[in-house]
Amino acid sequence: MTVIFAVVIALAAVSALGVVFSRRTIYSALSLVVTVAMLAVIFLLLNAQFLFAAQLIVYAGAVMVLFVFIVALLSPEAEDRPILDIRAVIGGLGVVVVTVLVFIEARNGITYSTQGFHAIGVGTANDPYHTFSFPPNATDNAGNVQTVAGQLFTNYLLPFEITSMLLLVAAIGAVYLTRRSSP
Amino acid sequence: MLNPNLFPFLLGLAAFLFTVGAAGVLIRRNPIVVFMCIELMLNAANVALVAYGRFLNSEEGQIFAFMVIVVAAAEVVVGLALITQIFRLGRELDVDDLSEMKE
Repeated sequence: MTVIFAVVIALAAVSALGVVFSRRTIYSALSLVVTVAMLAVIFLLLNAQFLFAAQLIVYAGAVMVLFVFIVALLSPEAEDRPILDIRAVIGGLGVVVVTVLVFIEARNGITYSTQGFHAIGVGTANDPYHTFSFPPNATDNAGNVQTVAGQLFTNYLLPFEITSMLLLVAAIGAVYLTRRSSP
Repeated sequence: MLNPNLFPFLLGLAAFLFTVGAAGVLIRRNPIVVFMCIELMLNAANVALVAYGRFLNSEEGQIFAFMVIVVAAAEVVVGLALITQIFRLGRELDVDDLSEMKE
């Protein structure tokens, strides 16, 4: 399990770099496909089976096909400007600093005890740290499709319905924008 | 049982993906690649949400991630429609040249 996590995290990180630093747009799109697929595997390992399927269908299936289609349609030329210039070096430094800081903070925030392990969260006046704890014996059916659907169609029904409105508006907007006669 | 030592690595991956995407938005000039970098940032948020949800034994992280996926899909549809319109107008695909919304 840990080995799979290590391989998948490494592949996701490398292919994310490929998205930014590929000179040709189609290579960026294909790198993003790899990143998205690796994140789907991470979701599966984190017991989020529904998101695994949604990630593969929506991202790897629909969104990336749309990207590749647009790249093939417009065939943008490769950038002639060098990508690895001073701005890329500054950006890379920012990436390294933020990643290391978040990693150290998440690692130091976790303390172990007999009740499992705790993490630094948003504190209250009485308890600035350790305000939430990770359950020691996480039951494996938390997060499966059944429990997610139970939450989604009860407590989060209104946001779920609003997303359908959002998708409708996006579809109408896309049709309007790509009409042949300009508005 | 999931190893709790994995949690910092997952948050580190989320931070890495987000900052790489942010740097890509600032560095690259091709609007299609800029959109891909925005997708990268949204996916990074999803990783953090799902990881927290898993380690806190809660479904809310997954539900928020689901909403993020829907928003990302809608954003891609409208964004790529705009890019095709810009291309149809005969403009060069370069975000530095597209600093004004209207001619």
